[in-house]
Amino acid sequence: MSGLVKLYNYVLFGMAYCSGVTIFMAVCLIVMDVGMRITGLDPFVFVLTTVEYILLYFTMLAAPWLLRIKGHVFIDAVTQFMPPTVKKVIAKLVYSACIIACSIYCWQLIILLVEAIQSGELDMRSYEIPIWILFVPMPLCFFMCIIEFFRYLIGIDDMYSTAVEERESV
Amino acid sequence: MEWYWALATLIGMVVFLMAMGVPVAFTFIITNIIGVVIFIGTMAGWTQIADNSTQLITRFTLGPVPIFIMMGSLFFHTGLAIRVFDGLDVLFGKLPGRLCFLTVAGGSVFSTLTGSSMANTAMLGSLMVPEMQKRGYNWRMSMGPILGTGGLAMIIPPSALGVLLASVANIDVGRLLVAGFLPGFVLAGLYAVMIFIQLKLSPESAPAYEVEMPSIPERIRLVCVNILPMGLVVFMVVGFIILGWATPTEAAASGALGVVILAALFRCLTFKAMVTAIEATVKVGAMVFFIIMSSTVFSQLLAYSGASAGLLEWAASFELSKYAILGMMFVILIALGMFMDATSMMLITVPIFFPLAELLGFDLIWFGLFVLMTFEMAGTTPPFGLLLYVMLGVAPKGTTLYQVAAAAFPFLVCDAVLILMMIKWPNLALWLPSLM
Repeated sequence: MSGLVKLYNYVLFGMAYCSGVTIFMAVCLIVMDVGMRITGLDPFVFVLTTVEYILLYFTMLAAPWLLRIKGHVFIDAVTQFMPPTVKKVIAKLVYSACIIACSIYCWQLIILLVEAIQSGELDMRSYEIPIWILFVPMPLCFFMCIIEFFRYLIGIDDMYSTAVEERESV
Repeated sequence: MEWYWALATLIGMVVFLMAMGVPVAFTFIITNIIGVVIFIGTMAGWTQIADNSTQLITRFTLGPVPIFIMMGSLFFHTGLAIRVFDGLDVLFGKLPGRLCFLTVAGGSVFSTLTGSSMANTAMLGSLMVPEMQKRGYNWRMSMGPILGTGGLAMIIPPSALGVLLASVANIDVGRLLVAGFLPGFVLAGLYAVMIFIQLKLSPESAPAYEVEMPSIPERIRLVCVNILPMGLVVFMVVGFIILGWATPTEAAASGALGVVILAALFRCLTFKAMVTAIEATVKVGAMVFFIIMSSTVFSQLLAYSGASAGLLEWAASFELSKYAILGMMFVILIALGMFMDATSMMLITVPIFFPLAELLGFDLIWFGLFVLMTFEMAGTTPPFGLLLYVMLGVAPKGTTLYQVAAAAFPFLVCDAVLILMMIKWPNLALWLPSLM
């Protein structure tokens, strides 16, 4: 069991690293594209679509890790005034609701992924790309979100233990 | 279902779930799932919402968001921000309240190089508060200017929130970014005037102190070396967009490259700084994108249920002036901002407010800037204004939320004055975009 947990953690953190690498790659690609245009060279046609796909992968690969590090923004303006027991019950209800919601999304995204693979449909952007590539990271992301919420539900950690001043946003 | 019940159901569900502490992104996901069952009446719609959720975040126009975060983070973590402060520091003699004026000047320059108001506030707070305490500044003068100036990053380009707003509201990203440039600096001027007035009323709140000033040639050298090169980065972002040389996404990437080049030239570009910047980008960028992804269907549900159209028709039936409705929208945004962060507020209100503003005849770029200004104000309103908590995190032990909010209040008045100026002289916001 501990080996499985270790493997899962490697995947979780590995996906977050990949998210960082992909967004850095996107910046490099765009800089290269602008540079080529300014110097009069013909820019590569694949940059636009690749960056658009990277934005999706960047988000999906990092989302479960963000749950692990309590990086998803939430509002505690109401719950902070509740007694600890009520707070705990509400937290469990929240985790359960999120598990159900993620399960529904995961299930629907698997259907979409399978359909996309079977149909062989193409996404027409600046170049053609099989549409299933769009859906690959999504069921995985939501499946891992289910696991992360389950960790909170069974009490391995508490999602609400971050101080407000430690939260990040734009 | 009548439009008002549909609106109350959807907005009520989002507000209730958020109030219960459901993470914002998952609030929208749950609302979408329940909303589809209520309004479409079949679970088959779930496949559609999962399919539609990729629509917004696979747009090239959203590209500047993570890149601006990376650029700002690089600027802070490589030490370039400190150099800017060192350069500005020699421009202010021993005038009373010099650290307050330095905060406004430094914060305005930071805002042209970073897209995050939270990062800006945190940086200014950690740099300036200890120094101000040491020099005997009272809490009002040591925190107020930082809170005011920190929020400037929301309107002065590059603004990550501006890009998000433009993308969600479907308006021109570049024009909205550029529109914030002039009003941002006018606001910085208003902050300086406010500090001057506060010092006149209470000179002991920020006492003058002896400063060892370098010679004039040395001062010129410091300014040329530490500040002027930053102008290159500003040009690579704002200039490229105005001149039409690059799209906002390309300008953002060029700006990030500019910061990397400057850091390399100043020999402060380290592997650690790069990794920290990328980590910050993943933390903030992916979190915001996940919210955007999950909220895409929410605005579609508002339209599908008839809530948006019904509300518009209802609002148009009143014989109220458009400025009265603008005032109502302002009050709603400020009230929401007392409990929510800017991204959540934006995703709830944009699908309703922007069509309404268009119907009332407001220029949408102008209105976008008005909304950003309101977000800036909402960020410093208690009890949930996130910038207040950022400030509290870097303030000396024992500082209360009340003190932080009270220190911010005069600067909120400046924000309100700027909004009135924008209403009186819309070209303040629209002149620069008109050049594009």
